[in-house]
Amino acid sequence: MIRLGAEPSKMREIELDDVFLSRLQLLVVMSKAYLNGYPLGRHRINSILENANHVKMEAVGLEEDLEWFKDDESFQDTMGFDSAFYQRVKLLSVMAEAIAKGHDLESHKKEALEKNLNAVCKAITFNKQVSEIQFLKVA
Amino acid sequence: MKIAVVDADPIVRDFVVGTLMYSVNREVLPFENGLDALIYFEDYGAPDIIVGDVNMEDLTGTELLDKVKGLNRGTIVILYSDLPDKEEVVKTAGADAFLAKPFGVSELFSLVQRFVVDGRSGNA
Repeated sequence: MIRLGAEPSKMREIELDDVFLSRLQLLVVMSKAYLNGYPLGRHRINSILENANHVKMEAVGLEEDLEWFKDDESFQDTMGFDSAFYQRVKLLSVMAEAIAKGHDLESHKKEALEKNLNAVCKAITFNKQVSEIQFLKVA
Repeated sequence: MKIAVVDADPIVRDFVVGTLMYSVNREVLPFENGLDALIYFEDYGAPDIIVGDVNMEDLTGTELLDKVKGLNRGTIVILYSDLPDKEEVVKTAGADAFLAKPFGVSELFSLVQRFVVDGRSGNA
């Protein structure tokens, strides 16, 4: 039996914040795969649309929480992101939806997507390269 | 290649389904409990891979594993839990992999690489 995931001392339930970050990481991988010219397919397209929508809705909610409670000292943003970060996440979601809907991004939009991806990856300290994920090269 | 995800928690289940669906570009079947999953497998055949929570009402992950391996010994069963002592339980039950919560996309990609692309059993 193989074992993956948290060390025994760090095991706990998966919280909403964990799912938001994991889905955001997935959205990053999806966008990088597009920039690398990896193939899509019917189920991949559905998965991108569902994931982008989920991340966008969560980002809207989290940004609203941030704004609503900004003067409340008792409020603790557990993830520590600012409003600009959530704006970037929403933009990434919209771009991913456009990709899934078959809109071919022009070169300057691809550059904008890459810049946005780099900023999001830096904020969440996620540096997985899609070239490491060999199975994404086939649909 | 048929993959099923069994978890009562829709937030985790949908995330796992979405990640696996993207990875393999195939439909992934979601089930909210072990009993519904088992009834489906008895009617339509056991899937190639099952990913599921250990802690489920009616039919636990290890009970589902036992029933599914009875239907098809070749089915890969991957179980996850937030409780460290479940790892030994899952191993004894004959699971191919144990996922310790919290896990993310990297762990799910590793499972796809191991069991879908490389096609190896965790007990080989």
